[in-house]
Amino acid sequence: MTQTTHRETRVTPRPARPPRRNGRFLPALGRFSLFALPGLLAYTLFVLVPIGMTGYNSLTNLNPFNPPTQFVGLRNYVNLLSDAEFHQALLNTVIITAIITVLANAGGLLIAMLLDRPTKLYVLLRGVFFTPVVLSSVVISVIWQAILTDDGLLNSALRGLGVDEPPGWLSDPGLAIYSIAWIMAWQMLGFCVVVYLAGLQGVPRELNEAASIDGASALQRFRNVTWPMLAPALTINVVMLLITGFKAYDQVRVITNGGPGNGTTVTMAFQVVQTAFVSNRIGYSSALAAVMLAIVAFISVVVLRFLQKREVSQ
Amino acid sequence: MNARPIVATFVGVVFFLPLYLVLVNIFKPSAAVVADPAGLPFPPTFDNLAAVLNRPDHLFTFGLINSIAVTALSVTVLTVFSAMLGHYLARSRHWAAKVVMGTLLCGLMIPVPVIMAPITTVLKWFDLMTTLQGLVLVNVGYYVPFGVLLFMGFVRGVPLELEEAAALDGANRFRVFWQVVFPLLRPASASVMIFLGVWIWNDFLTPLIVLGPDSGTTVTVGVYRAIGQYQSDFGSVFAFMFLATLPILIFYLALQKNFVKGLTGGAVKG
Repeated sequence: MTQTTHRETRVTPRPARPPRRNGRFLPALGRFSLFALPGLLAYTLFVLVPIGMTGYNSLTNLNPFNPPTQFVGLRNYVNLLSDAEFHQALLNTVIITAIITVLANAGGLLIAMLLDRPTKLYVLLRGVFFTPVVLSSVVISVIWQAILTDDGLLNSALRGLGVDEPPGWLSDPGLAIYSIAWIMAWQMLGFCVVVYLAGLQGVPRELNEAASIDGASALQRFRNVTWPMLAPALTINVVMLLITGFKAYDQVRVITNGGPGNGTTVTMAFQVVQTAFVSNRIGYSSALAAVMLAIVAFISVVVLRFLQKREVSQ
Repeated sequence: MNARPIVATFVGVVFFLPLYLVLVNIFKPSAAVVADPAGLPFPPTFDNLAAVLNRPDHLFTFGLINSIAVTALSVTVLTVFSAMLGHYLARSRHWAAKVVMGTLLCGLMIPVPVIMAPITTVLKWFDLMTTLQGLVLVNVGYYVPFGVLLFMGFVRGVPLELEEAAALDGANRFRVFWQVVFPLLRPASASVMIFLGVWIWNDFLTPLIVLGPDSGTTVTVGVYRAIGQYQSDFGSVFAFMFLATLPILIFYLALQKNFVKGLTGGAVKG
């Protein structure tokens, strides 16, 4: 009993804490093992340890089918600089990210303003736009593949309308990456709509009415009243879309598998996985992964800070 | 003046077209899918759905069983683990709790591909590669930060006095948590279950790699494996996708009410 009291106070040495009077409380260590350890153990084993291993492996030439493994220092990172596929993957990832961030945000805002009414019709339509968010990106990819493939539903319809040579949305090396971005934007649109709707519902009616009485036009009311109030919603959407864009993998794997042509739709995530599991170059793949993680971390921290500062200043 | 309902409906219909194409073409024979993709399926055929259910390789049925097992187990374990850990961290005044919280927050942004190769190594240490248990454990480890974050916000809204009162009445920590705190966290539990249920059901890369090509997969990976075989037989592919999505859609719609309440509740209290 005294043992228990002793341990409790040692771990949290705050005098303000009510003294533990009896032994019915588990000792601090027991409490930690019971409540905190299970979750932390799983997190450590399947996130923290793998992160450490990715970091270490990126400094080696690890390839399970090509031993021995040697420590190569920063050579993998140096090789990245002259790796054409990596440059392509980086460019593709930036293209996807830029397109989905702009498209889904702009479309999401417009549609949210259109649907910002409480009647049944608009509630139903919100559900329509949100449905793709709940569906797997694999399912979304297959739907759009059926639509956009060369003899797919869209081109059949276009031929029916008299277009002789409709574009190869997924087979044209210059076009496929934009089709992938379009598909991702379509899936994420509903997410932005819901976040903007939540933001719009936080704009006090009185503010818009007051501005209206003062003679502000609809556009002025949007610019000076609604838009500043939507700053937190914009932050959520932009960060979410940037991270989604940089993680893009499923759509590429399902729809184009990196093609058409020579890696025209390869993204960073796709290159990381292919290098690790197809070429078995774990070392090099880890260096790619580390760069990818650094970019995502940069976005998460810096962009979030920047946008939140904007929220406060307004 | 009132163009809004017309414009809104029009935009909604255009947006919904891809999903409409799936829904109508499930019930058409292949010839009709190509000839008239947008038309309504009259008379409807259930051959596509039947073919998916009666596949000789059981890709759908085995995948469905795996998906239900993995999702149900992962979500249950995650709800319990992250509720306990979230409560522990929210109530702890030790400096280490903040460090742990920061570490968990970092985990929120780590993309799966970055840690996929080492995850397979860790699974091989425990001989859990290509097993459902392995997949469940990976899910638990990867999604625990999200659960903890959500639960912590809610725990702060549970008055400490309630716990102290229960403790004075002689309940130990374990009983205080399970009989006083956990029932009060029901909205958070609903949110965690709905988010993670949908995410885990829809996961692609993790089950693809962890379960591997030989043993059975989940239905979501099954969709991917099925497209190669069907090629351009859209009716069958759509039927597979429809059946693979139906369970999680029903789950989502059933819990959705709680989920919206849960989110706003957390926002205010957080």
